[in-house]
Amino acid sequence: MTITEQELTSLAASHDIISLGAIADGLRRQRHGTNATFVRVAEIAADPSAPIAIAPAAGEARIVGAPPTRAAAADRVAQVAASANGVAVSGFSLADLEELAAREGVTLRALLEQLRAAGLEIVSEAPIDRLRDARRSIEEVNIAGLALARVTIHQPQSTDPMSQLKTVAELQRAVAVIRAFAPLPRRVNPAVPTTGYEDIRRVALARIVADNVPSIQVDWSLYGPKLAQVALTVGADDVDGVSADDDVSQGYRRSPLEEIRRNIHAAGYEPVQRTGRWDVLRAVDELTTQDERSR
Amino acid sequence: MDLEAIASKALAGARIDRAEALELYRRAPTPRLGRLADHVRAHKHPDRIVTYIVDRNVNYTNICVAKCNFCAFYRSVGSSEGYVLGFEELFRKIDETIAVGGAQLLLQGGHNPDLPLAWYEDLFRAVKQRYPAFKLHALSPPEVIHLSRLSQLPVPAVIDRLIAAGLDSVPGGGAEILVDRVRRLLHCYGKATADEWLAVMRHAHRAGLRTTATMMYGTVETDEERIEHLLRLRELQDETGGFTAFITWSYQPANTELGGTEATGVDYLRTLAIARIVLDNFDNLQASWVTQGGKVGQLSLAYGANDMGSVMIEENVVRAAGASYCMDEVEIVRNVEDAGFIPKRRNMHYEILGDPIFRDRDVPRMLELATARAAGDTHVPDELADYEARSRAGKQLRVIPNPETAAPRTCSAGTPPPRSAH
Ligand code: SF4
Repeated sequence: MTITEQELTSLAASHDIISLGAIADGLRRQRHGTNATFVRVAEIAADPSAPIAIAPAAGEARIVGAPPTRAAAADRVAQVAASANGVAVSGFSLADLEELAAREGVTLRALLEQLRAAGLEIVSEAPIDRLRDARRSIEEVNIAGLALARVTIHQPQSTDPMSQLKTVAELQRAVAVIRAFAPLPRRVNPAVPTTGYEDIRRVALARIVADNVPSIQVDWSLYGPKLAQVALTVGADDVDGVSADDDVSQGYRRSPLEEIRRNIHAAGYEPVQRTGRWDVLRAVDELTTQDERSR
Repeated sequence: MDLEAIASKALAGARIDRAEALELYRRAPTPRLGRLADHVRAHKHPDRIVTYIVDRNVNYTNICVAKCNFCAFYRSVGSSEGYVLGFEELFRKIDETIAVGGAQLLLQGGHNPDLPLAWYEDLFRAVKQRYPAFKLHALSPPEVIHLSRLSQLPVPAVIDRLIAAGLDSVPGGGAEILVDRVRRLLHCYGKATADEWLAVMRHAHRAGLRTTATMMYGTVETDEERIEHLLRLRELQDETGGFTAFITWSYQPANTELGGTEATGVDYLRTLAIARIVLDNFDNLQASWVTQGGKVGQLSLAYGANDMGSVMIEENVVRAAGASYCMDEVEIVRNVEDAGFIPKRRNMHYEILGDPIFRDRDVPRMLELATARAAGDTHVPDELADYEARSRAGKQLRVIPNPETAAPRTCSAGTPPPRSAH
């Protein structure tokens, strides 16, 4: 399906989010069929004194927060890698790493290589609106032998998302290593939160505009099950940030795995659990059945 | 059955039947269902106006003998967490409501055996005397049935007495799913069967009252039973034309005896959309942002809703079950306009009252909904002494001296008696 620039502009300005969503969903289905992937993440604070807990169900062990120094970052990666038991170790915002490298007077590549040597596999996010030189920094990630989990948007520039979305598409044309794009901003003004229409429009337009990025992602913990689920029907195909803790204190049906499975099914897709390396773990229905048998 | 044929029928404004409704609900892709519902909404409301009301949702008591297993709000007779609001407390709430531009209380509560019909009549009269223009949207059908049983008067007589005392309209709560199999499983068959709920509404409509209708889905019912619920409402609306609006929400499972999980956001949008298509004789459908949150609440406007419900000021029931979303008038208006609609204030009859109040004058922002009472406030209204208690706990507590006033303590069941009383 080809959409002209003019059609895109009128879609972006329209309040007809159902038609917009249907176009995005068509594109998403061409790429991914009825599969909706998700990753269960164990988050670990960058602070070296914080405890490390990686639940067995984790598909990714993610170090969150800005590291104070290069040495502290490398130490933390080594600590997490030692506890990861084969789980993909990811961490850090590429923007924070740019700043850290500049602060310590080393090249970004040197810092990334040091982190890789310590056990890092994946840089967690590249917020395009915070990066000093997005293209170069993302290329450095690749050259250093690391993967990039996702391109993100830190803060919305305006209510018109088009320029940021086009930037991501252009960036991908240059670097070709962006596996996923999470178009919903990580930080919003709590006094004026984004609306449902804004979020849905942004996700749908991201699928249409960034047509060279394989996956459009939505964050389960940041945006909540209801919005994340609706996002899956308008172009998103991957859910990030599903808890790795198998908390069944509220009953099996309210555990994170069951909740994501139920939501994906109810949205009309097949849930597929993946790792931080994008390996498919196993079909979730199979997994649920096995778990039910062993309960 | 051909989905396209059913869709064409709905688009042409023809009524769809049970089998067609079920087919659409089960099989139509979500955007297709949304578009159909949006078409019906646009046909009924071509002016793109989305309404809302400024009112306050007050629960006058949480003491309830019905004990529905999906309810996180009620407390048993004699519970130390039970409360009954006093007339003065209610007047204060009305004052606060009027201050932010509200003109109505949505007044509902538990089935408290210690509040006789006279208590309601006196309350309504007192409200109307102090605030003649203020509206009382009060007492859902199961509460009316409870009062009918308590007072041993037929339902029409109870409704007539409440109207004489000042009742303006009846909220559609307590409908849950209007299928008795479901009502038995939810332990709410006793409070009102499906026929009884509908009969109260029929009487209310005949008595000249307008009412709303609701549906709580996502407990134990089947898709067929959801459709059955909608068809029963449609049938009564054909007969009386007394319903002003329909509101659906998902069961909120936290802290309930029934437990389980909440239906998803997409389930909500699909249910809202099918309701818009089936309920072709209802003008207004509300978005339930209270249960779905502001974002899905706003998206409801694309799936058939034309009303954002209430700038609530206060909410107790959904909060007890774990959900607490808040949208003040500024936020509701922002969401309506962002979705491309024109926001207008309305009354319970869906008559347009005007533009947003905050554009005319300063109204304090409300970033959190109030509760019936501050936590730990267990005081007992003195005027309860004037009304006969039915329960043993109520009778016992009404003769205990109130330490603050030295008058007889007038507790229904709100506060456990001091040790010395035993
Ligand atoms: S839903 Fe109403 S009638 Fe049922 S237990 Fe709760 S308060 Fe009582």
